[in-house]
Amino acid sequence: MRGHGFLLANYVPGTSLVHRAPLALKFLLVLGFGFLSFVIVDWRISAAVLAVLAGLFLVSGAGVKRLWRAVRPLAPVLVVIGLFQWWQLGAPTAARIVLNILVCVVAASLLTATTPVQRILDGVVHLARPFRRFGADPERFALTIGIMLRSIPFIAGTFADVRDSAKARGLERNPRALVLPVFITSVAYARQTGEALAARGLGEAED
Amino acid sequence: MPAVAFDQATVAVETENFPQPKVLLDAVNLRLDEARIGVIGANGSGKSTLLRLVNGLIQPTTGTVTVDGDDTVRAARKVRRNVGFVFTDPLSQLVMPTGREDVELSLRRSVRNGTERRRLAEKALERLGLLHLADQSIYELSGGERQLMALAAVLAVDPAVLVLDEPSTLLDLRNRELLRRTLTDLDQQIIMSTHDLDLALDMDRVLVIEQGRVAFDGAPADGVAAYRSWCLQGLDATRRDAT
Repeated sequence: MRGHGFLLANYVPGTSLVHRAPLALKFLLVLGFGFLSFVIVDWRISAAVLAVLAGLFLVSGAGVKRLWRAVRPLAPVLVVIGLFQWWQLGAPTAARIVLNILVCVVAASLLTATTPVQRILDGVVHLARPFRRFGADPERFALTIGIMLRSIPFIAGTFADVRDSAKARGLERNPRALVLPVFITSVAYARQTGEALAARGLGEAED
Repeated sequence: MPAVAFDQATVAVETENFPQPKVLLDAVNLRLDEARIGVIGANGSGKSTLLRLVNGLIQPTTGTVTVDGDDTVRAARKVRRNVGFVFTDPLSQLVMPTGREDVELSLRRSVRNGTERRRLAEKALERLGLLHLADQSIYELSGGERQLMALAAVLAVDPAVLVLDEPSTLLDLRNRELLRRTLTDLDQQIIMSTHDLDLALDMDRVLVIEQGRVAFDGAPADGVAAYRSWCLQGLDATRRDAT
């Protein structure tokens, strides 16, 4: 089972300015860049923002390799989107859309590369506390985020494995041979994860 | 040692192709209070069902299962806190991107303070010699390291009983030996299913499960010999039928 193809970078221990920045600030940064991607209309500004974020990523010590690994799985999709938008709306718009998507991915990767998952989960628990009055368990919010972070590479890895086995049988052009096994494996994985959580007593209502 | 007791525990499931429920485990009566208990048997014999009953992952259709007097259905949460479970495939057990994060996840419910949680997680990892791998992606670990990481995450909350479902099946010889030595040093009561008969010989007591029933219960050497003999008899009979 391959676990590559993760969109968000794993945590890299360090003491950089980005590592030491308050979690709330980093959360706001990601949200802010997500919002900006709807607002920015000039591709040159998008490129500048992306350059700043990439610079921060490198300053944090997470490295070029990790940055590339965060972006690489998205590359084929970006190429398709870029070409389509270029054909429909012209080069500047295509460049802006592609760069804005990259801004969101790099901003999210900057957060996960410089913040331990447990700190992110603590932040989610803190944010979810007001929902307790409606009967929600904040720890469950955190657990959901944690599982999501872990499931993305699993499903990406499953897709890579299935693609290889389809290729080995000469079925790489058959969509059923690609989609069905990924779907079945993902459902099985969800069941196994549920069982593993139940075995550890995680996700149960608070005492 | 805590006592795990099965009283007429039966597990039956409805299946589409059969009018009667399929019996996975048939009226099992056992009291397990030895430190090391091995469960052996063929694939599909009911070993995993027996183990899953111990921490309440499966509920008995009839009868009861108790751990130190606590019913696995009525006191499910308390039982799960006292019984750690290690699966065959650690990748389905490790739910966080790195080992450190997974161990910390185990501790989230009992330790609210982040710094203390981190300290205890490091202690749990250090205990199994895994601290240097704490921040590595679980995908970058070897099979043995992953299995030990899953074990560390379970042991972090200090359960009284440790249940392991074929933990060495996916491991090579070296990692199997590493796991065996690690298990030897643990204080917990261990109930483990395995196809590794050498590992079964290390136990204090061995159960052989055949078609949902306890076919043998006793000394490891006798249990392993009985299991070998039944397997060979079954194989010979199949070959005779084929010819």
